[in-house]
Amino acid sequence: MSTRRLWAVLLLFTVVVSGAFVANIAADNTPSLGLDLQGGASVTLTPMGEFEDGALDAAVEVIRRRVDSIGVAEPEIIRQGNTVVVNLPGVENQDEALALIGRTGAVEMRPVLNIVEQQAPDASPTTTTGEQTSTTLANPTGGVGESRRLPSTADTDETIPAEPSNEETPIDDGVSVPLAAQSGVPTEGGGEGSGLEPGQTVLPGAKDGLLYLLGPAAATGEVFSSDASVQVDQGAWVVTANLRGGAGGEDLWNSLAARCFAGGADCPSKQIAIILDGAVISAPVVQVPSFSGSVQISGDFTEVEANDLAKILQFGAVPVNFDAPTVQSVSATLGKDSLDAAILAGLVGVALVLFFLFAYYRLLAVVAIGGLAISGMLLWSVIAWLSRTNGLAFTLSGAAGVIVSIGTGADSYIMLFERLKEDIRAGRTLRNSATRSFENSWRTIIVANTSTLIGAVILWWLSIGSVRGFAFFLGLSSLTSMIAVYFFTRPAVLLIANWNRLNTRGVLGVKSSQVLGGEKS
Amino acid sequence: MIRKLFRGENTYNFYGRRRIGFTASLVLVVVSIASLFIGGLNLGIDFRGGVAFEVPAKGELNVTTARDVLSAENVPASGVKIQTLTSATEERVRIQLSDQTPEVVEALKSAFAEKAGVNSSEISVDKVSSSWGRGVTTKAVQALLVFFVIVSLFIAWRFEWQMAVGAFASVIHDIVLSVGVYSLLQIEVTPATVTAFLTIMGYSLYDTIVIFDKMSENEQRFAATKASYGDVINVSMNAVLMRSVNTSISSILPVVSLLLLGAGILGARSLSEFAVALFIGMLFGAYSSIYIAAPVVGLLKERSARFLPTKGHLSVGVDMAHLIASGAPVGRRAQSRSQAGEGKAPSVAEPAASVDAILSHPPRPRKKSRR
Repeated sequence: MSTRRLWAVLLLFTVVVSGAFVANIAADNTPSLGLDLQGGASVTLTPMGEFEDGALDAAVEVIRRRVDSIGVAEPEIIRQGNTVVVNLPGVENQDEALALIGRTGAVEMRPVLNIVEQQAPDASPTTTTGEQTSTTLANPTGGVGESRRLPSTADTDETIPAEPSNEETPIDDGVSVPLAAQSGVPTEGGGEGSGLEPGQTVLPGAKDGLLYLLGPAAATGEVFSSDASVQVDQGAWVVTANLRGGAGGEDLWNSLAARCFAGGADCPSKQIAIILDGAVISAPVVQVPSFSGSVQISGDFTEVEANDLAKILQFGAVPVNFDAPTVQSVSATLGKDSLDAAILAGLVGVALVLFFLFAYYRLLAVVAIGGLAISGMLLWSVIAWLSRTNGLAFTLSGAAGVIVSIGTGADSYIMLFERLKEDIRAGRTLRNSATRSFENSWRTIIVANTSTLIGAVILWWLSIGSVRGFAFFLGLSSLTSMIAVYFFTRPAVLLIANWNRLNTRGVLGVKSSQVLGGEKS
Repeated sequence: MIRKLFRGENTYNFYGRRRIGFTASLVLVVVSIASLFIGGLNLGIDFRGGVAFEVPAKGELNVTTARDVLSAENVPASGVKIQTLTSATEERVRIQLSDQTPEVVEALKSAFAEKAGVNSSEISVDKVSSSWGRGVTTKAVQALLVFFVIVSLFIAWRFEWQMAVGAFASVIHDIVLSVGVYSLLQIEVTPATVTAFLTIMGYSLYDTIVIFDKMSENEQRFAATKASYGDVINVSMNAVLMRSVNTSISSILPVVSLLLLGAGILGARSLSEFAVALFIGMLFGAYSSIYIAAPVVGLLKERSARFLPTKGHLSVGVDMAHLIASGAPVGRRAQSRSQAGEGKAPSVAEPAASVDAILSHPPRPRKKSRR
């Protein structure tokens, strides 16, 4: 690469990163800090009226589910006595979070009219019949119908056989899903031009990426008693829920089940959707016309999915209603002194590392210092910007993620410089060995960072709470340090190597007495 | 020795001493697991729940004096969470600590009341549940299992399956030992500890992969020679040793600063536990990449068809220096090995030159035609 192009890359990258940094400062975007570092709002929810003790525990789990779905900001949810305390980091834009937490979550049952895959509005809807789907409902005590063990709806791709029946019209009698409904926005029926009958609605599946066209709500979670449980039956996880007796329980459920088993116009798919918080949690196929005492939901559940469903049924059976939440501001758990101590210690630590690098690698350490500074600026900008736009909060676990990447980032430089030294000792000139060394160590940097990134993405994707925060910041900072190595360090090292007056071994701290085979410098 | 290291003239026989590392690790792992079964872990309030006091922030009561009250009542301060709650009308202090006996709770209640100058009926005492829900642990464990599978597949694809096994073994080793230290010393486990363990895992994996990369590079370099896999490991280790040392120093320096400065001088307790976990874990991580990951790969690779004939042969000292310098095994032993195959009693090699002499006078690198 020509010297001119190297300069262009180096300068352009430095300018872009500094520009982003300055722009964020100018816009007053600063990283917001998490509960442990800065405090936030403490929301206390007090149940209204009578409630069962176990119901409050179930409610805590459901609220945790909701709050965790907000993002990576690491909220804290505890049950304190007979109240539920939700601590939220940051103090801005709390309204949305409050609305989400305070909402009463009723579990509803609706007949499924049609299912389409969620896709771009201009594509034609692909239809699947209920028969091909999913979880099944059976009566464990009474005569069980054919208890087919088909994969659950939760595992989309494999299960709903993508059966791309190219027919434009859905299979059921004329009820077509309007295009507007496919955007994933829940649409309540009845409105002008929505194309839905009154009471009908379109809701997304909680996990499966499908859209469900649903008939009017036919029952609530209160048809069940609050002891839904999970068992293993014939090697598969099943959820069993007992029906309450009388008109509000077994009778109500059976009238819905009978309608769906018949597969008539109001329930052509034979599926009953279980809905919480505007999402279809599960939509099992009814296998028997009537149930006595209990209902068994089977499918290709994992243990966690089965437990989730049981918890939701427990919650739906005895919904706890809360008074209007009271909000207080809460101070940081770590305290101001801890935060100051951590920042000071962190700065001293980084200074020590830089001093060490300088003592060991002499002039080339300037490249490392520049590279680390650039990647730090880039990281700060991204965090500040995400804090502003996405409510991201920087926590102690996030700091741990960043600490890892400072270590591995410094390692990138050490690896490169050790390669350079090795080559120079073997008699090559700096100019000669720079490209080769960079290519060699860049390969190692890519492999090692890719595995870190894979790990971070998996942990972020699959976990919740502080583990998720850790993974997010680990991934983000590994990425920024890789970007800095390629766009800053590479041109900088190559330019130094090309710089004639500097082309001596003193740059790396290699004494000429150690170099053999090419004494002339 | 440091001079040698600095110049890259080190020829340590890592692979030959693998049994020492294996034995030490085995003992430590057994001790860790035993301790985990006998003593268990000292789980903090975030995992087990506890009691929460809410006291009006009147009189002398604030976050600092509340902490003083706790230490006056001999309640261990680690893992205690003290926060102020501010609403439009009043300010209160919320103190959360792990489960206490009713007597201690009563004593604390009256002590807080005295400090705040209020009647003890104004203080609310409630049980609190864990904030770290069961779901968090289950999800985290699941995520870790998937993480192991996918990263192992990645290593197996990028390098080879033996290396996936080696990386896996060393990461598990580090986590078990770190958890073991927590169990042995009964240090309280907080969510920060969990993150610290994840951090350790990240480091350990990164360090291991850097060494593996060098090993696969050297395996290709020695492809045409009769070098044993043990030699490949030794040469690679010695090549990356200085990098490993430097990287460990530059990773541990900030942690030491956090430990000494943050926790020691500035007295931020919650940080000290975090720093201790990181410090221990990083030491284990640096150790295991060298003494667990690479030797495990060695044991597996030596059984492969290519390296079986040379299994057990190690070029040490001067021979290793020749190997590093020239890229081919030299010396009478290696020659007899390559001529007569294995099975012959190796004759003792005459040390032709010193390690220094060979490594500081490498042959001039062959000129490569530039592409």
